[in-house]
Amino acid sequence: MARYLLRVNGERHEVDVEADTPLLWVLRDELGLTGVKYGCGVGLCGACTSHVDGQAARPCVRTAADSARARITTIEGLSRDGDHPVQRAWRELDVAQCGYCQPGQMMAAAALLARDPDPDDEAISEALRDNVCRCGTYPRIRAAVRRAARIMREER
Amino acid sequence: MISRRTLLRGAGAGALMVAVPIPALAVEGLVPNVFVRLDDAGRITATVPKPDSGQGVRTVVALMVAEELAVEVGDVTLEQAPGDSAKYGSQSVSNSTSVRQLSTPIRTAAATARCLLVTAAAQRWRVPVSECTAKDGAVRHPRRGRLPYRALVRAAAALDPATVPVTLIPQDQWRLLGKTRAGRVDARTISTGRVKYGIDSRPAGGLVAVVARPPWIGAVPDTIDDSATRAIPGVVDVITLAAPADGQGGVAVLARSTYQALKARDTLKITWRGGTPAADSRAWLADLHAALPAQSPITGLQRTFEMPLLAHAPMEPMNATAHVRPDGATIWVPTQDPGRIQTLVAQQLGLPATAVRVEAAASGGAFGRRIETDQVQEAVACSRRVGVPVQVLWTRADDMRHDSYRPMSVHRLTAEIGQDGLPVRRAHEVVTWPLTVLPIFSNPALIKASGDHFPYAVPGEVTVTVRPAPLRTGFWRSVYSGQFAYAEENFLSEIGRRAGLDQVALRRTLLPATSRLRNVLDTVADRAGWSRPPAPGTARGVACLEEYGSAIAVIAVADPAARRVLRVHAAVDVGVALHPSGVRAQVEGCVSDALSTVLGAQITVRDGHVAESSFGDFTWARIDQSPDVDVTIVPSDAPLGGLGELAYPPAAAAISAALAGDTPVTGMPIGTDVG
Ligand code: FES
Ligand code: FES
Repeated sequence: MARYLLRVNGERHEVDVEADTPLLWVLRDELGLTGVKYGCGVGLCGACTSHVDGQAARPCVRTAADSARARITTIEGLSRDGDHPVQRAWRELDVAQCGYCQPGQMMAAAALLARDPDPDDEAISEALRDNVCRCGTYPRIRAAVRRAARIMREER
Repeated sequence: MISRRTLLRGAGAGALMVAVPIPALAVEGLVPNVFVRLDDAGRITATVPKPDSGQGVRTVVALMVAEELAVEVGDVTLEQAPGDSAKYGSQSVSNSTSVRQLSTPIRTAAATARCLLVTAAAQRWRVPVSECTAKDGAVRHPRRGRLPYRALVRAAAALDPATVPVTLIPQDQWRLLGKTRAGRVDARTISTGRVKYGIDSRPAGGLVAVVARPPWIGAVPDTIDDSATRAIPGVVDVITLAAPADGQGGVAVLARSTYQALKARDTLKITWRGGTPAADSRAWLADLHAALPAQSPITGLQRTFEMPLLAHAPMEPMNATAHVRPDGATIWVPTQDPGRIQTLVAQQLGLPATAVRVEAAASGGAFGRRIETDQVQEAVACSRRVGVPVQVLWTRADDMRHDSYRPMSVHRLTAEIGQDGLPVRRAHEVVTWPLTVLPIFSNPALIKASGDHFPYAVPGEVTVTVRPAPLRTGFWRSVYSGQFAYAEENFLSEIGRRAGLDQVALRRTLLPATSRLRNVLDTVADRAGWSRPPAPGTARGVACLEEYGSAIAVIAVADPAARRVLRVHAAVDVGVALHPSGVRAQVEGCVSDALSTVLGAQITVRDGHVAESSFGDFTWARIDQSPDVDVTIVPSDAPLGGLGELAYPPAAAAISAALAGDTPVTGMPIGTDVG
């Protein structure tokens, strides 16, 4: 076991875990951030997608040790009030079915929009291709990313 | 007017509770199913008896209650009912029945509350009931003004409901039901990551269990050396699970944290015996072919279809949490049937059902898999041993390799073709496996009833031969209809193509002129611009299905050379669409399932075990493959129909026909070996 200082959602947390513990389980088990979803544990489904230093990343395939100095954002920290343009667009277009993949989808979409304010279908596909939605909400996800981009442009 | 059996009773300090028996439930006397409650402050709480695994039942309940009580959806607080069949009747989410079973009792319960509140107001004002209306959480009268519900709750609770006529809000006056703008009630908690799914429900101080599962089908542990495992920090216990009492069997490692349990499982040294270490799904397919009758009942054009094993692979892997105490137990589980779990756990522990509390957590998808109970049996066995809460967590590979799969099947279709190229007689010979999770599904008549919904006017016969299932099989969205309709529609498409017939016209000819199916077929043909020839390089497929009390027609447009589906149009007649956005979502979901399974997602068995282990090899569709989906809900005066599974079979048939272009479809997935 070793101690790591993590910066998650703007707060500092000290955790005491083995060095090879995936960040996913640190976030879920140690910090109670259960919005970070387990879907495969091997980087294949995108359910755990969060931000590490502003980029979309997979906490299931990074260790706690790798993450010690990084700035980590989970769905719980995407916005203070749940009103990030992506979250608003997701509600407006009634995207979710079971909702389980959606934190990961929204985090991937938010990271995309942070670097590309006006993504075309190609760019959306590219950024979200590795996020599985077993319920099949893809058409609405695509529309919601475009809607969120518009909200962001309008409010800039 | 409402049945006399409507029950109303005051609970506590003048609260108003309304309960109506669920009609499907044959109970002795009157068991109160409390669906709607108003407290002294006028706050409205509705109980959702069935779990929501993404199909939106919570939203529909909230809409129904808000509609009938003349308030906004946001004014209704939802409570998810725990497992309690004695109180709620069947809580099973299956056969696309949830909304159908709940709509009358829940609307009636809320309408009863409204009528009592209105009556109480009329009595206070000494005016006729007919002059009073309920609106925005208050009863109004043109001259007397308004009384908020909270001022009327006590008086309403004191009324004898048998003396108060109850009327439902007529459909043409709906403000909320049937309107497009309404979204999912849980949208905010979902969008902020705050939904507690089963996997998020481990109580503080609970342990995590991960199970070493049979490395080949049917294997059982022979020798277990857990000395290294027990020495690992964080490991609390190692427990042998014996099938079938404890689920599917294996060796559970209980640890303080998830990662400790996962790592510790790899250190177990287990030898296994029994089972079928050489099992291979290609051999199973050959066995199904060999079991086809020597001769078909008719001769003519013939085509044989092969259908693969499919996994459910819900996004949230199987899990269950149990806290077993000497005098009772609490279970937290994402399930399609909390009531059944209560009964089962009570039996497993020898306790009365009332001592078992089953919390129906939100499910990250279900698709038929969560009607089963194996994961709960595992959690109960573990917690019973250690006396603290234990969450059994399945890894993705556990989930994919120890599922209850959709059965493989082989379909031989034969048609006598008439002068005009239309089929005049047909035969459909099916060889498949039973559903091992429900033994009555080994009856060929039942399999036929589940699968055979051939809607076209072509006489003929369907025969089902059942071979023993070599692995666990279960309910997968649309059950046998997914295989039967896929084969039948693709065969009809081939018949049409050979005769140079228009696929829509062919189907129209074979459907009764005034049928629901013909109506949706015409609608979808119109939406898809069927009368114009397809764009160069594209091909189209069409298919229909009437099942679950609903009708649907689907047209898919694809670019066969690129193996790409461009668009899917669907027209549905679900009777009354209470929540149109939810109706569209279910169709979109079925289209995604169809796309995935037609393009390549299948389960294969090699060397005794399922070869696929995750979304890398069970190749579920991704956003870049996903077509736009256009869903038209056609107006209908048919009764409320089911929907959750309706679109999968015709969507798969239409998509495969479009992708195959001029090549006959011979199975699923297309362009790949089956098995
Ligand atoms: S859980 Fe991290 S990618 Fe699947
Ligand atoms: S909404 Fe269920 S997995 Fe995406």
